[in-house]
Amino acid sequence: MIGWYEANLVLIEATFLNFLLALSIQVPLRLGVFSFAGVGSYGLGAYTAAILTLRYDVPAFVAIGAAVLLAAVVGYLFSLLVARLNGLYLAMATIAFVLIIAVLATNGGELTGGANGLYGALSDLTTGGVVAVCVVVAVLLALTERGPLRRRIEAVREDPELSLSMGIGVVPMRQMAFAVSGALGACAGAMNALLRTTVSPEEINFHLIVLALTMVIIGGSRSWIGAFIGSVIFTWLPSVLASAGRWQDVVYGVIIILAAIFMPTGLLGLVQTLYQKLRGRRSAAVTAEAPADDTAEERALLQALGGESRGGVQ
Amino acid sequence: MLEIRDLHVSYGKVDAVRGVSASAAPGRITLVLGANGAGKTTTLRAAMGLLPVRSGQVLLDGKPITGRPTHRIVRDGLVLVPEGRQVFAPLTVEENLVLGGYTTSRDKAAETMERVYEMFPILKERRNGPAGLLSGGEQQMLAFGRALMSSPRAMMLDEPSMGLAPTMVESVLGTVRTIADSGIALLMVEQNADMGLEIADDVVVVARGEVVFSGPAEQARRNTSVVRAFLGEAALGA
Repeated sequence: MIGWYEANLVLIEATFLNFLLALSIQVPLRLGVFSFAGVGSYGLGAYTAAILTLRYDVPAFVAIGAAVLLAAVVGYLFSLLVARLNGLYLAMATIAFVLIIAVLATNGGELTGGANGLYGALSDLTTGGVVAVCVVVAVLLALTERGPLRRRIEAVREDPELSLSMGIGVVPMRQMAFAVSGALGACAGAMNALLRTTVSPEEINFHLIVLALTMVIIGGSRSWIGAFIGSVIFTWLPSVLASAGRWQDVVYGVIIILAAIFMPTGLLGLVQTLYQKLRGRRSAAVTAEAPADDTAEERALLQALGGESRGGVQ
Repeated sequence: MLEIRDLHVSYGKVDAVRGVSASAAPGRITLVLGANGAGKTTTLRAAMGLLPVRSGQVLLDGKPITGRPTHRIVRDGLVLVPEGRQVFAPLTVEENLVLGGYTTSRDKAAETMERVYEMFPILKERRNGPAGLLSGGEQQMLAFGRALMSSPRAMMLDEPSMGLAPTMVESVLGTVRTIADSGIALLMVEQNADMGLEIADDVVVVARGEVVFSGPAEQARRNTSVVRAFLGEAALGA
C-alpha cells in the first residue's frame, strides 16, 4: 500500500512546474504584454538542461542555472527584435518563437535527438529542490506586487504612453519582463526534463501555449497566487475528469468557457471581490455614521470600477 | 525656456506638421490655437518624443532635446499633460502623484507633494481614494499635480478644458495661470480660444500644420479678426 504522496508524486511535481510555466506568461501580461515566448523558453531550457546533463554530466543546479541564464539572454534579445510590435502582432511573433524552437529541436540532429528527443538525462534533482525553487520565485514575485515596483508595473500596464510621459522607462521594463519570462519558462522546462529524464519536440506545442494561458486567465492574471491556483486546477483537473470517460474533453471545455464568462478576474479576483463584499457589509454595519465621502454605495462603485479595469486582458 | 523651431512631423506620407515654431518663456503661457486636425496635439507629442520628428528642433533652455527618448526628456525638465485628463484610474490619488515624482529624489518628491496638496486641497482630501472616482475637473487637477511632481522647468498642456463643465473650465484655467506664475514655462493647446486668450501671454495660431499667426495675446484679444479668420466664429463663443 503506497501513500497518497507517492501515488501522486508526478502530479505534485507537475503542479509546481506548471506554476513556473504559468508565471512565464503572467510576468509580461502584468505589464500588458501578450507574450507566449515563455513557452518557447520552456523548450529551450528543457533541451539545454538535458544536453548538459547527457554530455557533460553536470549537477542539476548547474544544468538548470545554465538553461535559465541562456533563456534569459535569448528572451532579452528576442524583446529587442519585437520591440516595435504590440498587441496581437506581438502575440503572433511570440507564437512563432515557440514554433521555431520546436522546429529547431526536431531538426537539431544528434544534438537534440531529432524527432525522438533525448533520453536518459539522469540527474540529482529532487522534488524538494523543485519546491524550493518555486518558493524563492514566489517570494521574489510577491516583492514586485507591492510598493514602488507595483505602482510602476500597474502604470505601465494601464497606459504605457502616459507612463513614458512621467519618465518611467517603459521599454527597459518590457525588456526585463521578456528576460524574466524566459528565465521562468526555462526553469520549468529544465526541471521537467531532468525529473522525467527525457525531452521531445512534441512537448513544445500549441497545447502547452493554451495550457499556460488558461492557467493564468482562470487562476488570476495579476498575482503569483492566481498563477498557483491555476496550476493546481489545470494539473489535477484531467485526472479528476477521468471519471467522465470519453466526455472528459467536453466537460473540460465547458468549465473553461463558464470560468471565462463568470470569472473575468480569475478565481483569485472572484475570491477577493467576495471577501471585500463581506468585509464592506460588515464594516458598514458597524460604523453607522460613515463619513460622507466613504459610503457603502461609493465603495460598491469602487469595486465595480476596480473589477472592470482589472478584468480581461488589455 | 521651451523652444520649438521649424518642426516637421509626418504620419507616413501625410505631413501633419509643416514647420511649426512656438516658444514659451519661464512664467509665461503660450497658447496654441487651431481647428481640429491642425496639428496641435501632434506638435506636442513630437516635442515630447512620443512621435518621430522629421526635421526641426526642440530646445529646452537652449539644449536640444529633439529625438531623445520620452522618459529622458522628462528628466531634462519637460513634461506633458496629455489630452483627456489621463490618470491611472485604479491607483489612488497619492499613488498617481508618487508616480509623477518618479524622476526626482524622494525628499524632493515629498516636498513637491506638499505644495501640490496646498494648491489642490481636494486632492489631499481624496488622497487614498482611487483616481478613477474623481470628477472630471479633479482628474485634471490630479494630472496637473502629477506633472508638477517631476519639478519641470517647462510644461505642455493638451486641451486642459476639454469635456469639463463651464464653471470647471474657469477654475482649471485659473490653475494654469497659477502654475505659470510659479516660474514654469507653459505651452498650452486649447480649443476654447475665448477662455484661453484670457490667461495667455502669447498666441500661436496653427492651420493645416502651419503657423498662420504668432504674437502677443493682447494683440489677438484686441483684434479678434485674427482668431476669427482662422478658427471661425465658434471658437470665440457667442
